[in-house]
Amino acid sequence: MRRPDWAPDEIDIERPSVARMYDYYLGGSHNFAVDRAAAQAMVAAVPEAPLMAQANRAFLRRAVHFLADAGVRQFLDIGSGIPTVGNVHEIVQQVAPDSRVVYVDTDPVAVAHSQEILADNDQATVIQEDLRHPDRILRHPELRRLLNLNEPTAVLIVAVLHFVPDDDRPAELLRTLYDALTPGSWLVLSQASDEGRAETERSDAEMVYQRTGSPLWFRNRSELTTLFDGFELVEPGVVWVPQWRPETPESSVNAETSGFLGGVGRIGD
Amino acid sequence: MTSPATATQPSGANSGIAAFTQEWANALTGTSYLPMTQAQLKQLLNRLARQLAGALLAEPFDLRAGQRVGTELVAAHIASAEALGRTVEVVQLRLVRDLGLVAEDVADRLARLLAAVTTGYTRALRDRTLDEQESIRRAAMAQRSKAEEALRASEARFRHQATHDALTDLPNRNLFTERLTTALAAPRRDTDRVGLCFLDLDQFKRVNDQHGHQAGDRVLTEVANRLRQALTGHLVARLGGDAFVILIERTGGTRDVIAVAEAALAAVHEPAAVAGHEVTVRTSIGIVERQVAGTSANELMRAADCTLHWAKAAGGGRWMLYDAERDRRELTRQALTAAIPAGLDRGEFYLDYQPLASLSDGRLLGVEALVRWRHPELGVLRPDRFIGLAEETGLIVPLGGWVLAEACRAAGSWSVTGGTPFVSVNLAVRQVHRPDLVQDVRNILERTGLPPERLQLEITESAMMNPADEPVRALRRLADLGVRIAIDDFGTGYSNLAYLRDLPVTELKVAGEFVAGLRAQEPQADERIVASLVSLAHALDLTVTAEGVETAGQAERLRAIGCDAGQGWHFGRPEPADRILARLS
Repeated sequence: MRRPDWAPDEIDIERPSVARMYDYYLGGSHNFAVDRAAAQAMVAAVPEAPLMAQANRAFLRRAVHFLADAGVRQFLDIGSGIPTVGNVHEIVQQVAPDSRVVYVDTDPVAVAHSQEILADNDQATVIQEDLRHPDRILRHPELRRLLNLNEPTAVLIVAVLHFVPDDDRPAELLRTLYDALTPGSWLVLSQASDEGRAETERSDAEMVYQRTGSPLWFRNRSELTTLFDGFELVEPGVVWVPQWRPETPESSVNAETSGFLGGVGRIGD
Repeated sequence: MTSPATATQPSGANSGIAAFTQEWANALTGTSYLPMTQAQLKQLLNRLARQLAGALLAEPFDLRAGQRVGTELVAAHIASAEALGRTVEVVQLRLVRDLGLVAEDVADRLARLLAAVTTGYTRALRDRTLDEQESIRRAAMAQRSKAEEALRASEARFRHQATHDALTDLPNRNLFTERLTTALAAPRRDTDRVGLCFLDLDQFKRVNDQHGHQAGDRVLTEVANRLRQALTGHLVARLGGDAFVILIERTGGTRDVIAVAEAALAAVHEPAAVAGHEVTVRTSIGIVERQVAGTSANELMRAADCTLHWAKAAGGGRWMLYDAERDRRELTRQALTAAIPAGLDRGEFYLDYQPLASLSDGRLLGVEALVRWRHPELGVLRPDRFIGLAEETGLIVPLGGWVLAEACRAAGSWSVTGGTPFVSVNLAVRQVHRPDLVQDVRNILERTGLPPERLQLEITESAMMNPADEPVRALRRLADLGVRIAIDDFGTGYSNLAYLRDLPVTELKVAGEFVAGLRAQEPQADERIVASLVSLAHALDLTVTAEGVETAGQAERLRAIGCDAGQGWHFGRPEPADRILARLS
């Protein structure tokens, strides 16, 4: 179907969205044919891609539980995507109903969808902004409305940092966030790593994501650890995500196939 | 629910159900993301396993239990094709065995129960899929309409920016032109009239220079606000810089537009506070008002702009009304000015000469070169039509240069026995101030072979105000060459007697207006003035030529006074050199 001339270009559902591809990996149906085609191409290149997404999502769940148990009541989830099953506000508001969650995503459809889900939840909100502009996120009125950054806050940047190449200075972005946080605040990071991957697998995966407009930028363990600068990593440090405080010993077997490294750090008092 | 007599659930079922649940949980791992802990998963599966076991043994057999289990699995996000397949497999293979279920038709019931689980599961999964699809489409649509709204808003903003001035937020030239064009294109009646007031702040540059551009901008904003408030109902636009325009549609006549201009003047002339100072801003206004029929936006704009310049030239702080006659005159002048360079190129200028005769014996001493323009449309023009324009625009330099060269060329070819006349050429102030004047004259004399003493340069008093100036030094060098220097129109300017002593002047030309007073029989004031000038000149060793001598009586009195030479109709009108020379030979 031809799109009318007056339709603005920026709503491009003919281009795969990494947020909706991720939803597809997780078994959701919040995606369009174009997203599924790209996700299937990814699965053809890296068959365990859905398992990687699931492992990463499980890491997020365990990390958020951990933080809620540690008493954190404010969460800033940057790169939240399509918040379908097991999203942050559901997890934390089960533990502590007064917890506040601010979601941030750059994908306008993901944001519109989040707005719909959060319409009746005055303890959670969503901002359309890019991780590359932490200053804009921090001064956004919606964030200011829900979060008091003078109190401990957890910043979650889960499965999104691999869309931020070094040219975009991720260390500076994290520094800006760090500077806005008070001691006792937390940082949760996870991102794709090509450690131990075959070169062909890596380049095929890169090709798939090149078409989404969000190319992949892999990082290894030491690179990710460096990005925790200013935060004290809690045990077990930066590891393959299934190894991060697993619920059962067997769930961390073959952890490196998850392809995701992650960790949790805290600003000391 | 009662236990049927035909079926038993043996003791040890608890350990059996635990084993089954574990097996089921293992089978589901990795089928899709399960948003729960292992413990929560097992708790759920344990409950569902009990429901399935209960259903297998229940009497009567109720398939809805199977459908409920399928639905619950999907509701708990255990929702994928793989999860269903593995569930069917695990239940089929393990449930009866692990729980030690005994019943005569248990295999039969299991098949039907699994069918019900599958049905419930699939239906729930389908509903869920449709719900999710709908929700993501709704999100996409919501986003699309939001983006379209943003686009429309940005278009509106863009439109505003494109049609308004950023500093004052008044309509800009584009919008004004649009509105004016519309007003002219679609008048309501044939007799509709339209008016424009062009405003320009007087000496606005001074505000910027004295108080800085920020203060200047504040003045402009203040003026814009005042005009906006004072002239509601009319379009007030900023054309750029300190220029504003007011469009008055459907005027009842000139008086309406004048009233608007008066209101604008009053509004602007209120003192304004700028950078802590009270600044009085003044403005000039050019008004044009006419019938819509037969006019164009360009014509109106030009007329208003030109009228604004008249108001400025008249001292500013006032309005002026467009005057078509004056405009035509000025246009002609401008056209004439613009045509001078081409006229020079095409050789449209030529010289006539007027005799300068000795008053003592009537001998021809010299001739004054007078430039004429044979204009292709206007015919022959005398210098009073174009010399003033040429002086204003600087075109006098090439024109005067041509006159000098041409006069020297002509005079160099004259030969008269008993005294060839010198040629007298007028030099404009700008020419005298040119640094290469001396070299130019020298070159011309060399090229034409005219002896320097046969060239006289006529300059006005104003050309040599200060004896220390470079122009005076240049004239001194020319005088040293032997060139004669005459002061033209002496007595009408500053008539500074002191410089006559110090300057390299050889002759005074007394203005014709003194000569005109010499027609009375008895000596009048003019005659006494001329007599004094003559004796003063003679005292300084200067000769005196009287201009504008029209009668023999005037010539006689001038001779009696002792004046050396005369020029005027009495001695001959300007004419081509060959006719003058022919009379001499």
